[in-house]
This record gives sequence, structure tokens and C-alpha cells, in this order.
Amino acid sequence: MDTEKSFKELADHFFRKEYGKIVSVITGYLGTDHVETAEDIVQEALLNAYHSWQHKGIPENPQAWLYTAAKNLTLNSLKRGKYAETYKKSIRGKEAKSIELEFTDQLIKDEQLRMMFVCCDSSIAENSQITLILKILCGFSITEIANVFFTSKETINKRLVRGRKQLRDNPISFEHLENIKDTLPIVLKTIYLLFTEGYSPSQKDELIRYDLCLEAIRLGELLISNDLITDKADSYSLLALMYFNASRFDARMNDDNMIVELEQQDRSKWNKSFVNKGSQYLQYAMEGNRTSIYLILATISANHCVAASFNKTNWVQILSLYDDLIAIEDSPIARLNRAVALAKVKGNDLAVDELIDLETQSDIGSYYLFHTTLGYLYKEGNEDKKAILSYQKAISLTTNERDKKLIQKKLMDVVPIL
Amino acid sequence: MKEFLLLIKSEEEPKADLSPEQLQQHIEKVGSFIKRLTEEGRMKSAQPLEMEGRILSYKNGQIVDGPYNETKEIVSGYYHLLAKDLDEAIEIAKGDPRFEEGIWRMEVRPIKKVTGIN
Repeated sequence: MDTEKSFKELADHFFRKEYGKIVSVITGYLGTDHVETAEDIVQEALLNAYHSWQHKGIPENPQAWLYTAAKNLTLNSLKRGKYAETYKKSIRGKEAKSIELEFTDQLIKDEQLRMMFVCCDSSIAENSQITLILKILCGFSITEIANVFFTSKETINKRLVRGRKQLRDNPISFEHLENIKDTLPIVLKTIYLLFTEGYSPSQKDELIRYDLCLEAIRLGELLISNDLITDKADSYSLLALMYFNASRFDARMNDDNMIVELEQQDRSKWNKSFVNKGSQYLQYAMEGNRTSIYLILATISANHCVAASFNKTNWVQILSLYDDLIAIEDSPIARLNRAVALAKVKGNDLAVDELIDLETQSDIGSYYLFHTTLGYLYKEGNEDKKAILSYQKAISLTTNERDKKLIQKKLMDVVPIL
Repeated sequence: MKEFLLLIKSEEEPKADLSPEQLQQHIEKVGSFIKRLTEEGRMKSAQPLEMEGRILSYKNGQIVDGPYNETKEIVSGYYHLLAKDLDEAIEIAKGDPRFEEGIWRMEVRPIKKVTGIN
């Protein structure tokens, strides 16, 4: 009588993950100009499963079931002749019969990786790149992607159409990835963007979209598990960073769906196996003997992960890491983040002075977190009046209810009755 | 126990717009629902229908295709189940998790018992 269980045998997000795998393999088979056909084929295979499985139960090997269904649908679509001509051209004289479509583990991994690089090709606009990745590799529907970016289905559709057109007009060769080195940074950036969007959604009142973070980690894992990429140092760094940040998932949200800040988090809730994974990857990354933004950010995050408490954090090291970061990429955001470490090491006054300087040199003053940080520093320095003004300014700059509530709470901590 | 035929209806082919995630959730939820009723002996049969088919009628001395309804509604599957009375059949139908998807309608009809026929 294990009714519930037999239908729970499908792994979490099984369809979503298989979607990306199968689309990648079939696209590798048909050519990037037929990515849309591949998507249609997989959707049809999933629909077949949907009709059959709800009545007959889930087959013993659901993965193999889907692969067989997708393979047959692909071969049928080829036979129908619709794509036969272009297909013949794409295999360049090889006998069509000799090509077999087998879903081996290695092929699935390779094709997903290639698909990632195809989606991130420099000929494709940035917002189309991440949209293609979410649609093709992560199996998100247009509605789901629209929700992620808080935009309309039409906008997402336009981005997809533009991206797919780029793939059609300029089919990217799957045979050689000589430009792997040039495209890797874009791939890493897109994965990081995906993670960040999940970690602190810029839009809506959404708190955290863990599924996006986990998808980003999954794509990162694909990079390091593949031999096509020879220099993996940056990929290891990014993965380490994502694992460290993801380890705090459970502690980052309280029962009222409010974000709990680092200082207040219950550190016993941090996911130790994620921290261990992060540490392991950080180790590998360091063997690359070369620094990068991801490596520095990962090391900063690692420092937080191993600290017994907020105050016992190794702020001296974190400060020097932020200095390294600024040496590579001097941005107002990096300097803003550095301010808290600076305050811990050299005192609030100095940190406040630097922030006020920063405000005159950049447009950081229009960013609510700038004023939130300033408010925090004032409060720590017992300058309540200034703290209140900063927090009020921060609230006036937020459009997001979630952030507004959080700052409101900080304000209440300074002045309980207002 | 009385027999009921539950006709599952939707506007056109409803599934094409569902994401992989939603398809999986549907299988898990609706699948468990059907399986539970089958194990309880209440569900005699549950089948999906293909989106193709014909409507036949008799006109001017011969059988013709159509006429087709103006509405786009289509029967996409059926349940044949046992229940004490119509109220109970409706209660069972209401428990179908597919309703959460907001795209389904269901027609619950008692199967007519005629002595000597079934």
C-alpha cells in the first residue's frame, strides 16, 4: 500500500532536469539550428509520459523510458523528411545510418556543456543568454522565466526568439570548441547571475529562489566534471563561492519569511556538507595559483563559514581580501561591502568617512544598501540620530516590500517607538 | 454501490503550456489519486483519450463527419468509478488534485441502471 511512495519515486525536478539533458543531446544530433525542434520533441516525450504514467504508474526506469520516447520521436521527425535535407548537410557526407542516438552518461554531460557554451556565445545578447539557459538547459517554462525576471511572457518570448534566431543564422559548431577559453568567462558570469538572482531576487517580494541557486550549482558541476575544459580554476572558485553562500540557506530565513542577516543567523543551521564541498573546491581552485574575483569572493565567504560568530570572524583577513578585490576590479559595490570589514578592523569612524567619500565620487548614494550600511555603522557608533536618517533614506530608495520591511526593523531597533 | 462516469474536460489540448515541473507534479499528484482509488476498489477504469477522433452523425440517409461543436471544449479522459450516491461521487471528484491546475472541468454522471441490461 505504498501509494504515495510509488509516485514520489521521481526525484525532485526530475522532468525539469531531464528536459535540459535530452534537449541538449537531440540538439547535438540535429544541429543548433534545430534547437526548437529538439525542444518540441522533448515536450512531446514528457507529455507522453504524463498521459501514460498517471494511469499506469511510474515505470521502473523512468529515465530510460523518456530517452527511448525522445529517441523514437527524433528518428520519426527525421524520417518525415522535414529536417532530412539540413541534417544530411550537417553530418557532412557521413552515412546517416551510421549515426546512432544513444543517451550515454558521457554524451549527456558533454552535450549539456556544449549547450551551455552555445547559449553563451558572444553573438547572443546577454539577457537572451540567461533566458536560453533557463529555457533549454534548466527546463523552465516561459511563464516561470517571466516570474524570475518579473517581466512579461512576451518579453521573455522575444528574448528567446532573438536567441534562437542567432543560433539559426549562425549555427555554432559542436565539433570544435576552440573558443572555449573566450566563452568560459561568459558562461561563469551567466551561472553566477543565475545564482545571485536566486539568492537575492532583485524583483518582486520573492525571498529566495533556492531552485535557481541549485540549478546554477548543477551547471557549475557540469563545468568541472568535463575534460573539454582544461583550465578549471575559475570554475572551481565559482562553485566554491556558490556552495559557501548556499550553505546558509536554512539560516537565512525565519518563520515569518523574513531574511535573517549574517550577524543574527543561527550558525548551527548552516549546511556543513555544503561548507565542506565549498572548502574542497576552494582547495582545488587555489592550486591554479592565480587569483580571480570568484576566488576572492569564495575566500571571503569561506571566512564567514568557519567563524564561530559574527564578532569572532577574521575581519583582518576579510579586509585584506576586499583590498585584493578592489585591486582587480574597483567598483563602488566592492568598496561598500568592504566598509563593514573596515569598521571591524579600524573602527566605525574611518569606515563612515570612506563611505561619505565614496558617495561624492560615484552614484552609490542612489542605492539603498549604501544607506543601510551607513545606518548600521552609525548605530554601532551610537550615533542614533544619523542612523535614523540613513535608514529612512534607505527605505525611501527601496521599491521592494521585502527590503523595506527589513530596514524598518533595523530602524525600530534604533528607536523602538517612532 | 452505484457506477459513475466522470468526464474530464478542458479547453483544447491543455497540457502543452505546462512546464516540465508542472507535468511532473501532475503525474505525482493525480497518479497517487488514481492509484489510491484503484486500490480501494472504487476506480474501475481511468483512461486518457487521444486528442484526435471524429464525431459521426446520420444525415440524409448516410453517416457523415460532424457537425462539430462550436466550443473548443474537449473530453481528454474519463474515470469509471463506484460510489454510494451522486453526492459521494462528487466528493470523490472534488478530491482530484488536477483541479489545482485551474484548467480542468469534470462532468459527473451516474451510469443508468436498467434492469435486465446491465
